[in-house]
Order: sequence, then C-alpha cells, then structure tokens
Amino acid sequence: MNVIAVLAEAIAELMREDHQRVLLGEDVSTGGMLGLSRVCADDPELAARLVATPLVPATAMAHAGGLALAGLRPIVLVPGVLQVFEGLAGLREVAAMAWRTAGERTAPVLIVAPCGPGFGLGGDAGEGLEAVLSRVPGLRVVCVGRPHDAEPMLRAAAAFDVSEDPIVLLVPRTILTAEIDGPSRAELTRELHVAHRVRVGAAATVFAWGEAVGLALEAVAETGCDATVVDVASLQPLDRATLVEAARDTGKIVVAHAGPRHHGIAAELAALFADDAIDWLDAPIVRVSGEDPPLSAADELRALPTVERIARALERVTTW
Amino acid sequence: MKRDAMEPTPWDPEGATAVLDVDGRLADGALPAGLDVRHYYKHLVAARCLDVRLQRSALPMYASSAGEEAPLVATALLAAEHDWIYPGSRDAAVAFTRGMPPDELARQVLGREGPSGGPALPGRVASAGLRIATTTDALGMQLALAAGHAHGQKINADGGITFALCGEGVTTTGVFHEVVALAAQCDLPLVIVCRSQVWPSGAPAEAGVLGDSVAERARACGLWERRVDGGDPIATWAAIASASARVRDRRGPALVEAVVTQLVHDPPAHRDPIERLRRHLDAQGAWTATFQDVVEAEVRGKLERAFAALERGGGAA
Repeated sequence: MNVIAVLAEAIAELMREDHQRVLLGEDVSTGGMLGLSRVCADDPELAARLVATPLVPATAMAHAGGLALAGLRPIVLVPGVLQVFEGLAGLREVAAMAWRTAGERTAPVLIVAPCGPGFGLGGDAGEGLEAVLSRVPGLRVVCVGRPHDAEPMLRAAAAFDVSEDPIVLLVPRTILTAEIDGPSRAELTRELHVAHRVRVGAAATVFAWGEAVGLALEAVAETGCDATVVDVASLQPLDRATLVEAARDTGKIVVAHAGPRHHGIAAELAALFADDAIDWLDAPIVRVSGEDPPLSAADELRALPTVERIARALERVTTW
Repeated sequence: MKRDAMEPTPWDPEGATAVLDVDGRLADGALPAGLDVRHYYKHLVAARCLDVRLQRSALPMYASSAGEEAPLVATALLAAEHDWIYPGSRDAAVAFTRGMPPDELARQVLGREGPSGGPALPGRVASAGLRIATTTDALGMQLALAAGHAHGQKINADGGITFALCGEGVTTTGVFHEVVALAAQCDLPLVIVCRSQVWPSGAPAEAGVLGDSVAERARACGLWERRVDGGDPIATWAAIASASARVRDRRGPALVEAVVTQLVHDPPAHRDPIERLRRHLDAQGAWTATFQDVVEAEVRGKLERAFAALERGGGAA
C-alpha cells in the first residue's frame, strides 16, 4: 500500500468524522489528479462536500478561506506546492484573518501539497518553496519526513486543536509514492509542531526534513557514525526548544534538506543555533542541500541531497 | 438651467438603465416594491456626510466616495441581517448604513482600533457582528473570499447570501474573472456589485474599462446581470433588489454594474445621486429644506461628536 492510498483512506475518514469538512481540489469528485480523493469519490455520503471548482489558481486559496469563514473546515488538495504559490495573494489574506480580527474570526484551512522531486515533472520540484511559505505571516507549514508519518501528520494538521491558523502540509512526492508495510498507522499520533529525534546518537546531530530525513538515516547507517537524526517536521513554527537541545547534545551539526541551499530554513536553523547553542558548538554548522534550481525534469532528483554528501558532512563535523 | 431629459451629456452612461430623469421624475411612475424612498434618502445623505467628514480628517490615501453612494447604501439596506457583505477599501458607508455606531465607526476609520479590537487600518471598517468582512490587501481578493463564503452558505443551506463590492478597476484582474467563472460554475449565492466610473474624456489605462460594459462581460460568462445608472438611486435600488432576490431564491449568482460619477470631477448636478433623489422627493412634495437640515444636522452632530472626541486626542491616525 503506498502513501497515496493511505492518505486517501485517511482523508475519507476525516470527512466522515466531521461534517463541517469539505474537500477542494482539481477533479476532487472523480478521485483527484493523484488519487487522494479516490475513497471520498466512492462514498456517495460525501459527494455534497466534495467541492469541485473550475481552474481558479489565483483565487483558490481565498476561496477556501471564504468557505472557512462561513463555518466550514476546508481541506484543499493541490497538485503541487506551485499551486499554493499561484494562490499566494489569497492565502496571505486567509493567513492574516485571525490577526486582522484579533482572533474573532479564524480560517482553519488545511492545504495538502506534494513537493519536491519524484514524479519526473520538474517545475517546482527543485525549488524548496517551503522557505517562502514559512515567511507568510499567520501561515503554519509542516513537512512529512517519513512515509509512516504521513497519516498521523495529516490527522494532526486537520485537527486544528493547537491553532486555527491555516496550515500547509507538505508531502514530498517520493514519500507519496513510497510503499509502507503492515496495517494503517492510524494508531500513531503526532504532535503537530514538535521536532522528532528519529535516531539518537552522541557523535553529531543531523537536522533534516522531508526526503532528507530518510537520506540522513541512510548516511548514518552507511557510515556507522553514531549520530542523532532530528526530523524538524514543523517548519513554521519551529520547535525551537527541541532543536536547540538536540544541537547542544552533540555540538556537531549537519542540516540536510532538499531544494536550494541559500536563503532557506537551514540558514534559519544555523542562526538559531548561533543564538542559543553557540557555547556548545564544536564545529561549523554544515548544510547539505540539493542543487540550485532551475532543474530540468530529467535532472529533478538532483534537488535531493545525496547520502554520500551527508556522510561527508558528518565526517567533517565529527573530525573537526 | 432646465435641460431636455432625453439629451444625454458626456457624463451620462451609455446602455445603463435609469428610471429617474434629470429632474427626478419617475419614467414609468412606479417605485420598486418595498422601497421607502425617504428612509433611503436619509441613508444616502448620511453616507455623504460621512464622506465629507472623512475628507476633513485627511486620512492617508483616502479617496472620496461622493457620487458613489447609491450602490453602497442600497446594498447595505437590501442585505438581510444574516447576509454577509465583503466591501472594498473605500466602502465605510456600508458599515454606517448597516448600523455601526458612530463611535466605533470613528475608531476604526481613523485607524485607532481595528475590527474586534484587532489592528487598525485607516479608512476601512469591518464588523463580524454586522456581517461586514474585513478588507484585503491584494487587489480584488475580497471577491474571492466572498465567493468562498457564498459557497459555504450554499453548502450549509443556511439561507444567507453574500454581497461583494468592487470597482471597475478590479475587473481587469485574474481574480475577478476567476470569481465570475467560479460563481457561475458552482452556482454560488453571490451578488457582485461593481461601481464603474464615467470618464467623459476617455478612461485612463488603470480604469480597466475602455468603454465596454462589465455587465456584458459577466453576461458572457453566464451570470445574470444589470447595468444601471448609479446616479439614479431608484434604478440602482431596483437592480440590486432584483439581483439579491434571485440569488436568495438560489437562481444563480448575479452582477450589478452601477455606473457612477465621482463628484470630485465636478459633473452636472443630476449626476449626483442624492441631488437626483432630492429632486424626485421635491416633485412629490416629500422634501423641504427643513427636512434636509434636520437630517443633516442629526447625522453631522453624531459624526462630529465621535470624530472630534478622537481627533482632539492627537489628530487623525
């Protein structure tokens, strides 16, 4: 069972659990471009809440915001994070709603956005747009780091219990197509804005999100370096306490992520550690990223950091 | 100077329905059902007094709405209590007409306090209690939020409808066209009220209309539409009333284009909707100078107390 099928089932369950939820997206009533609404489309009980719209990229995010202002809880399925960008002017208004009204009106919109390489389409795949989204005031951004986390993160994001601010759930395309074994992991729960130590070691700390979490684990396994691997997971807001603690624990830091190297969240983490962990650092903070975009469709996997480069970075910080 | 009612000036819009002639005579003698003309007139005068007071406050980037009152006031009066209005950034008159107390209006519009105690934005007003949405930064984005809200009202089947206000400049944006497509395709309970300006010497590029009709564009997209003379408050009322009645009956979205003349351009007096309706009331024997004085004095007094109290504390924000 791949992650798309798991999420399709989970989205249908979310729709059945709360009748205020509506599902928006291209071809949403016929299963959606990726099949994420396939289970919903097969359930006649849900048909009235599958909101098929014409192609309205510039207004799609504001449209979801308006639905939320009318008391509904929209889940928006977009073909890719680029479509969030096309609606950015509207999303910005939606994200500012709680601030504008001193919290009296909120717009709990969940946007599920595939990102990164994996479908061979190029386009936004190499652009690491999460850094830009994280700068939109009032918008929350979380990113799935491992296939088994996709469903619990979706559920945590759809709950809107810690905040009613809109949220973008980024799901790397390579994770969407990953196969996962065993039963559905619905019993897993995830706290939404919490970073996770997915492996604990003493030699160094690798901070990663998205596809890079798996690659970092591979690098640790290949090199035998006893490193901690932290899935940053919540990009806005950052779980600063956990991140700083994990940085102080080893003092040797690698940040690994897909997409371009500069002007991104890795730089934000480096600044955070410079502010709050400088006395604990024993080596320069080393970033490992993808190649700079634009990348052609054929080259889109170059947007990922490689296991070898993460391994070299680990060696560099541990032998400093 | 008396002028032949049939002879249009360059200020009179083409292809826009009017029922009051330049002297305020009703063309077919019949008023729209349910319209209390004096009540409507008082609100129009109140909206003008608000505009005059706002101009005195010298708000940053404030542009006068004088001459555009008819579609604003008619929308606010025709919206039912549970309907929502998504205004643009120059539409404070909507809140005043819908009953916002002058003190709160002054606090918001002078930028002392935003809606619900939130951040302030001079010139703009919103109120969840009065079902008036906040304005947007991005041009025309209030239309997209309004379409979503209307969609929610449709799904919730709560009987409410949504009004979205805009000017003709917004009609060149992608947002406008996407909202029209969305509203038509999804059959949304949405009334778009667009104010188009008359440009006797040719529209500037940023006006976005080069003599064409926004209403015709909407009709081509499948919306019910009316293009009316915004200088004629009765025709404007009738069009918005028809639009909202249709939309309330879930017969699809509607667009009303009211062609208005901003008084800052010094048009002929009959282009002023308040003067046109005054002439109508006068011809009916329903207007006196005393009536006018009393209406204005009451509104001005209320506004002045509210505004002056704030401005004494340190001028406009």
